[in-house]
Amino acid sequence: MMELKISSNSPTKFSTIVTDLWNYKDLIAILAWRDYKVRYAQTFLGFVWAFIQPLATLLIFTLIFSRVAKVDTGSTPYPLFAQSGMLAWTYFAFLISQAGNSIVGAQAMVKKIYFPRLVIPISKAIVGLIDFMISLVILIVIGVYYQFVPSANILYLPLFILLLIIGGLGVGIWVSALTVRFRDFTHLLPFMVQIGMYASPVAYAANMVPEKYQWLYALNPMVGVIEGVRWSIIGGEAPGQLIFFSIGVMLLLFLTSLWYFKKVERVMADLI
Amino acid sequence: MKVIEVKNISKTYTLGAAAKDSIVDTFRGLFKPSSSSKQTFNALTDISFDVDQGEVLGIVGKNGAGKSTLLKVLSRITEPTNGEIVMRGRVASLLEVGTGFHPELSGRENIFLNGSILGMTRAEIKSKFDEIVAFSGVEKFIDTPVKHYSSGMYVRLAFSVAAHLEPEILIIDEVLAVGDAEFQKKCLGKMKDVAGQGRTVLFVSHNMAAVKGLCSRAILVENGKLALNSFEVEEVVQLYSRQGKEDQGGSSLVTFENKPNSVLELGLKDEESNLILNSGNLSFRVKFHLEIPEGADLNIAFFTSDHQKLFVLLGNEINNGDGFKIGVNELIFTLPKYILNKGKYYINISMHKNYSDFLFAKREAFYFTIEESSVVYNKYPNLVPGPINLY
Repeated sequence: MMELKISSNSPTKFSTIVTDLWNYKDLIAILAWRDYKVRYAQTFLGFVWAFIQPLATLLIFTLIFSRVAKVDTGSTPYPLFAQSGMLAWTYFAFLISQAGNSIVGAQAMVKKIYFPRLVIPISKAIVGLIDFMISLVILIVIGVYYQFVPSANILYLPLFILLLIIGGLGVGIWVSALTVRFRDFTHLLPFMVQIGMYASPVAYAANMVPEKYQWLYALNPMVGVIEGVRWSIIGGEAPGQLIFFSIGVMLLLFLTSLWYFKKVERVMADLI
Repeated sequence: MKVIEVKNISKTYTLGAAAKDSIVDTFRGLFKPSSSSKQTFNALTDISFDVDQGEVLGIVGKNGAGKSTLLKVLSRITEPTNGEIVMRGRVASLLEVGTGFHPELSGRENIFLNGSILGMTRAEIKSKFDEIVAFSGVEKFIDTPVKHYSSGMYVRLAFSVAAHLEPEILIIDEVLAVGDAEFQKKCLGKMKDVAGQGRTVLFVSHNMAAVKGLCSRAILVENGKLALNSFEVEEVVQLYSRQGKEDQGGSSLVTFENKPNSVLELGLKDEESNLILNSGNLSFRVKFHLEIPEGADLNIAFFTSDHQKLFVLLGNEINNGDGFKIGVNELIFTLPKYILNKGKYYINISMHKNYSDFLFAKREAFYFTIEESSVVYNKYPNLVPGPINLY
């Protein structure tokens, strides 16, 4: 028979995090499904909204950055260029804001029932994947329109998607645990998302940043990831060493977020 | 076999800390233990007990005594500050019905959602789905969003999901206090079934009748400690009942706010306090105000201290159907000689119009204690149990 010991300061092993999450995989799935199901409840357009939002953003980007600001993307049509950046950024932004607010948003549950709390932010990564797929469909339609043929780099795309998930969860889990104690992060998140987008090569190319500021720019781990995603879709100059820095930072964020989350989890119901 | 072993559990809360912590402190705290001296509160102190397999353990105590904290620790919602708990078997806890229910989702969808949150797998929920729906009695509305449900339907559906959990250890907090009387009965029956199947149940309740009916042992929590070394249900219930607010002999009369259309006074007529030594002639007096007496009536319900309803008296009957006048009315009524046995009782009083619209309602409006009752009590002190006495 399964034996469970509850005591203060029982050490957290990484393996228990994994088995806990595996045991609760049904809950992760159903929470993600609930979020998606509820999102367009009682709307007239329903699922169409999932397309309208990214399309509208793309249209505005194209008007402002391509027509007004005349961003040079070389031989690549601007919509294709921007959409490949947005594909990565939108998912990341969704994940950090949704996962970041997820624990506080689920406080009624947290106070009343036990389950591994990590289930909550992690389920957001799955919800985000649905939007990611929609963005991908839009990208493919644009690609077909411009008769664009991707290179073999495309094989690397899943790797970058994995990096996006890990990085987004890393930041999201950190914020979700910090928000339990400091609601300040709820207010900080929108800024992080907004500033983050301009500090990342979403609407413009990374090489447009002046040479002498490149090192500062590269400190943003999303620069490497977005450049990587774009490279795997469109091709061109490989992101080089930058990408290893990004992988390192994202992994570090992710692992430390698990550690800090587990630490807060013990008192989550008391603090929230 | 011992299924639950609770060893010296304590839980300490830091008071007012959450809001005042600065970010700097927390980041410092990440790397070294904090040494600040904050005010603390001991919600639980050194609680130990064991539960055998198949046992139903009642957890009894006043509000704020620490029952909820104990449940939260037992169900892993929060960690104990000190001590250890060992549980053998799959645990499910029900501190609330309908945790995670989403108003926009249909009854069907919420069954799956809530079931998963309670720890059931998708396959388990699927196999019990029909049973759950049948038990809840909301078949017709199973595909309607639950935001359109009445609160009764909502609660019935939520309880039904919970009732079909099949853990080895079940922890329940007062969820029976939901739904109408009929559904409560159904719930109690279901709980009895669960207990009968050899599962272990921890049951927190204020309802002493339910505790007596369901539990094989009980503990009494008081100020975060076990108040009694005994686990005998009868002893625990008695001590708990004695702790109620009716404890010491108080006034023989309670007064209420002086408002139109409400009860003004309720109490015993010829007594000095609410502690009655012998219930030979027990006369009560009630004063109330009415603006429009037509159709109005008074409902005076007698309860035992463990919330069993004994009987109800109607103002119009006491008054021989003479009706009431505009302004202040006074009613005096006397219970049959010796009818109430030794024990503690209280009265719920309400005033209504046409037996539907409430003008006034007060639960546990007046408490009284009978120390000794019938003439035969001295002769057979242990042979006349129960609240009603006919000798």
